Parts: sequence; structure tokens; C-alpha cells
Amino acid sequence: MKKFLALVLALIMMFALGSVAFADDAVDMKIAVWTSNEGQLELLNSFVQEFAEKKGITINATFESIAYAEFTTKLLLELQGSDAPDVYWVTETSAPAFIASGNLAVLNDAMAEYDPADFAEGAMSLWKKGDDVYAIPFSTSPFIILYNADLFAQAGVKTPEEYIAEGSWTWETFREVCKQIKDATGVWGFQTVDGAGYTTSVLQNLLPIIRTYGGDAWDADGNVMIDNEGAIEAVQLFHDMVYVDQSVVPPGDESSFYTGAAAMTVSQISRVSNLDEVTWKWGMCTLPGNNPVIGQAAIGAFSRSKNGDLAAELAAYMTNKECVARIAGIWPPARQSVLESEEFLTSNSRITAEQMKDAVAASIASGRVLPAHELYPQISVEAQIAYDKLWNADADVAAVMHEVGDIYRTYVG
Amino acid sequence: MKKREHITRQRRLEALTGYAFVTPQLIGFILLVLIPLINVFIYSFHNKNMLYGTNLYVGLSNYEKLFTGDKLFWKTLGNTFRFSILLVPLNLVLSFLLALYLGERLFGSRYIRTVIFLPVVTSGVAWAIVWKYLLQSGTAGPINYFLSKVGITGPNWLTDKNWAMISVVINRVLKNLGTNVLIFLGAVMNMPQDVIEAARLDGANEWAVIRRIKLPLLMPTVLMVTIVTMIGSMRVFDTIRLMTDGGPEGSTMVLVYYIYHQAFKMFNTGYASAIAVILFIIVLLLTILQWTLRKKVSHYEDA
Repeated sequence: MKKFLALVLALIMMFALGSVAFADDAVDMKIAVWTSNEGQLELLNSFVQEFAEKKGITINATFESIAYAEFTTKLLLELQGSDAPDVYWVTETSAPAFIASGNLAVLNDAMAEYDPADFAEGAMSLWKKGDDVYAIPFSTSPFIILYNADLFAQAGVKTPEEYIAEGSWTWETFREVCKQIKDATGVWGFQTVDGAGYTTSVLQNLLPIIRTYGGDAWDADGNVMIDNEGAIEAVQLFHDMVYVDQSVVPPGDESSFYTGAAAMTVSQISRVSNLDEVTWKWGMCTLPGNNPVIGQAAIGAFSRSKNGDLAAELAAYMTNKECVARIAGIWPPARQSVLESEEFLTSNSRITAEQMKDAVAASIASGRVLPAHELYPQISVEAQIAYDKLWNADADVAAVMHEVGDIYRTYVG
Repeated sequence: MKKREHITRQRRLEALTGYAFVTPQLIGFILLVLIPLINVFIYSFHNKNMLYGTNLYVGLSNYEKLFTGDKLFWKTLGNTFRFSILLVPLNLVLSFLLALYLGERLFGSRYIRTVIFLPVVTSGVAWAIVWKYLLQSGTAGPINYFLSKVGITGPNWLTDKNWAMISVVINRVLKNLGTNVLIFLGAVMNMPQDVIEAARLDGANEWAVIRRIKLPLLMPTVLMVTIVTMIGSMRVFDTIRLMTDGGPEGSTMVLVYYIYHQAFKMFNTGYASAIAVILFIIVLLLTILQWTLRKKVSHYEDA
């Protein structure tokens, strides 16, 4: 009898718990991102909660932080499974493949209230196919120069701002400055972007120079321009900096700008927080020639999400003007109205309004994203083997660039 | 009659206990090894792509592409053998000599044993990252810095295509030497001392003792260690991933890393599976070869 009573009691409790769960018809949303910064995640979650309030529903949002290096791989594995994210970030290099694979929902209806004219020119091109929008960029972060002002002063070199004012901030000047600093202080003049400019970030490193000299990876019509005369001249210039001037942190050397071991580096404003602890004065400016690479990231909704249209609406909501304005200090937006606003210029407490205007906004205006292709991962692995041949003192730059060009041509155009 | 029944009953019970013990391991093996392994064979005949979700039967076309259209695969295959051919002898000779030395229980051997075994229990990731710093180019890396102090200009250990493979091999040998030393040491300790004594009394010098007595006695262990080290060398991944990323110029791209590239960077799961099948066959052939040799070479093994 006791057993029976206990059983009945247990059943009643189970039902009670069950009905609580039923009464609470909250929507579960899983959102995959590559930031793990708590402040940033809180901000993103507040967008979700505002969206829920506007819709009059409850959303239990789970943010899943996947490291950037493994983001696409892990995301794809999850999309095959039963616990796939409803909304997720997409990197620029995987954009064409994600669109072609049908993993992204069309957002046209969800973004009915958008003002298309507000987006910077070309900002949407990567994320559209025909008239359909598959993801919306929330970050259009240009690569800018960070420099160690103390080292410039120590070497008796003019600051980049002074060169810019003179109109002489060219790659030739840049080369000269690096050499002067190296000769005067013994410290490296330049560290490539994250120290990965010879390997995984070879294009981020070389394209700003190549584009200034009239080359490119390939253009919109599929013409490969990585081995034209300008491109070869540009790569030769950088090669000479590394091997003739020996003013750039060379391959295999882990010396870092952030620890004071190099006078300049290429970076993005989300990385400026790395400088909180440094004791030296630092500055920020546009890249020489002002042809920076822009790193784009977008938000999209999973095409087979259980929450269907709601996921698409959330993706659109998180990139509307109000939300984008609030994250602009971390991830500069592609929206003209936000970029031109006073709030944007003062949105990052570590960066002055002048720097935001002269370096960041100016770079967004002139920069371009990396080339995109459906088979980008394949192309980059094959091209890397050829690019590696550049990093010897006696490398034949023209021959290597032609080899890279031939690899590009087998896929592009 | 009754007694016999009792025995079979007991046997059955014993067998049942045995099965109960192996079941957890067996379930793990079936779920995590056998089924994926069979799947790899099936995938290798499909153009399975993780990004597009395609999974079409394409017969032997993955293999056709491997053998006729993929230059990188052949380069990778060559690199894998180069890696093993450099690593296995170096590892074996060093660990064998060290074991002989430690077996003599000479001065300091306890400390040396600890030092040699320490890398084995160190995390592979931490080990590789620290070594990447030690092996920096110029004089930025501590190793090249010390070399420069004695007048040697150290090479670009990890970014020179002529040195990268050697650096990775030396690194792996240092990391895993301890395991083999331990196995050899066990065998050295168990050698019948009377035979060695007899040889010495007969006037054999130390080299003759090692070559004529100790080495033949240790042959079964040598073969076993060769098999294990060889197969282990085919599976190198973390060191390559963290130290060279397969470069420069693909000079350290080995089969396992190429499988990772194809499967998880390019998402060609089907094609990656075909490479995995080739690797499986290579390891299988090596194992068969070595087991055949084992029967021919080692006369002292207990049957």
C-alpha cells in the first residue's frame, strides 16, 4: 500500500512538473557565434530579449561560442545534427559556399522594414544571390595600422598622421619608416597581421599592397590579377622589406607588436583591448595607400530551423539600425546612417573620435572584402603551398606569383 | 554425470562473467571504432560533402582521382614515409641504447629515467606550443640563441622546407622516447644474466655482448616496438597541426593531416574517407609484413 501511495505521489509530481513546462511556451533559440566575451554575449542576448518582448513571446536563448578557427567546421557538423543552431554568424570566406549549400534561409520577408540604401555600397554583395538576401552583415571591420608612438619618437621618425597630412603615407614611405625604426632602435618595424601574414593570413597581409599597385586576387568577372605586373611589384616590395631591409618580423619568429617587439602591426578595432595593459603610447591610422581589407561577418538563419520564420526575423532584428548602433564600437557596421553618426565616433572608449573618423570610417569607405569563392577552402590550401615558396631570401617572386595565379585560374573564371 | 553438469554450469557462469567484463569495452569498440570504420569504407565510394549534404554513390571515382589527379596526395604519401623512415630508426636506436645504459643501473640513471619519461606524460598540445617558441627563427628562439653563442647560425627550424620535417621528427622522438625506453628496459631487466655472464667469461667484449647476446635476446621486443612506433608515426597529427600546419610548401603534410584538411577544411568527407582507407591498407600491410618477419627473425620467443 505504501509503495502504491508513493507511486501515485510520484506520478502526481511528474504531471505537475510537466504542466509547468507546458504552461511556459517559451521558444528555445540556439545562436552560434565566435565571440566568447561575456560583455558582448550579454549585449547580443539583450537584442534577443527585446525582440521577444516586441513579439510578445518568451525566448530562451542559448549562445554557443565556437572558436573562430574551428567555427565553420563545427557549425557544419551541428547543422547536420538534431541540435542545430537556429541563428548563426557566417564568415565572409564561407559565404558563397553557405549560400550555395542551402543552409541559409532567405531573409527578404524578415527584413521588409530595412532601408536598403542605408547599406554601404557593396556591403551586401557577398550575402545576396540574385535578389535574395541570405545573411546580413553586422560587422564590416577594416584592417587598420596600430603603431607604437614611443618607438616612432625614439627613432626620430614622423608619425603616420603627419605623413598622412603631407599626403605621403605610401607603401614606399612605410618601407622607409620600418627600416629607420629597425636601424635606430633594433626593434622590428612591422609585424604582419596576428603574425600570420606568411601563412593563414597571407592575403590579408599582401592584398592591401597588391591592390594599391593595381593588382588583386581576382575581380568580379573572374579575371585573376594576382600575378599582373602591379601585384608582382607589390609582393617584391614586401619581400624586400623582409629579406633586404630585414625590418619585418620574419617567418618563424613570434615577436609581437602587443608586447612592444614591433613598431607597427595591422589589426582591427575589436583587438584594441589587447593594448589595455601596455605602458607605451599607441596610435592608429589607415594603411598606406588606403586599400585595406575589410573583414566582414554576417548573421543568418538556418534554413531548416525548427523555429522557421522566427529565426529569420530574429536575424534581421539583430542587425537593424538600433541594434547595430549599439555594437558599432566593437563591430563597425555597414550602415551609412550609423557610420556617419556622432555616437559611432565615440562608441569605443579606447579610441578617440578622430581615430574613429580618420582611421576606421575612412578605411570602411575605401576598403574591400577578401575575394570569395564557393571553393575557397580548397583554393586557399592549394595556394598556400605556392605562397610558402615566397619566404626565402632568394625566392623568385614573379615565378611564385605566376604559380599562385595558375592555381587561382583553375578554380576562378 | 551430475558432476559433469556442474562443471559445464560453472563454465557457463565463468564465461558469462567474462562477457560481462568485456561488454562495456566491446560496446565502446563497436560504437566508436567498428561502425565508424565500416562507414569510412562506405563513404569512400560516395561523393559525400558535409557542406552541401550530398551523398551520392560514385563507385571508384574517389580512388581514381586519388591515383591519377591529385598531386598533393602523392606528395603527402611521400612525406608520410619520409617521416616514418626518419623517425623509427632514430627512436629505436636511441631508446635501445638508453635502455641498455639504464639497465646497468649506473650513476644518475634514476634521474635520467625520470627526465626521459617526463615528456610522455606532458600534454602534446602544450609540448608542441612550447617547442614552437623554442624553435623560432633568427635568434628569437632560445635554441638558435644558444647556438649563436657558440658561433652556429641556427636554421629556420619550422619555416624552412629543408628543416621543418627534421624539426618535427626530432620533436616527436623526444616526446615519445620514454615509452619505448620503458618497454626496452623491461626486456633488458628480464634478460637471463647467466648467458651474458657466460659470454663475458668466454672473453667477449662489451660490443660483442650487445651484438651477439643482448640484441638477439631482445629481438621480439625490438620487433614489437618497431611495429608500434611505425604505426604510431603514421598517425602523427597534433605536432603537425600546431607546429607547421603542414607547411612550408606542404613539406610536412602527412596523410592524417591531409585527411583532416579534406574532411574538415574542404568538407569532402567522401574523398577524405578514400584517403583514410588507403592509410588503413598501408598500416595493415606493414603489420602483416612485420608479423611475418617476427616469425622468421626471433628464435627466442616463447611459443
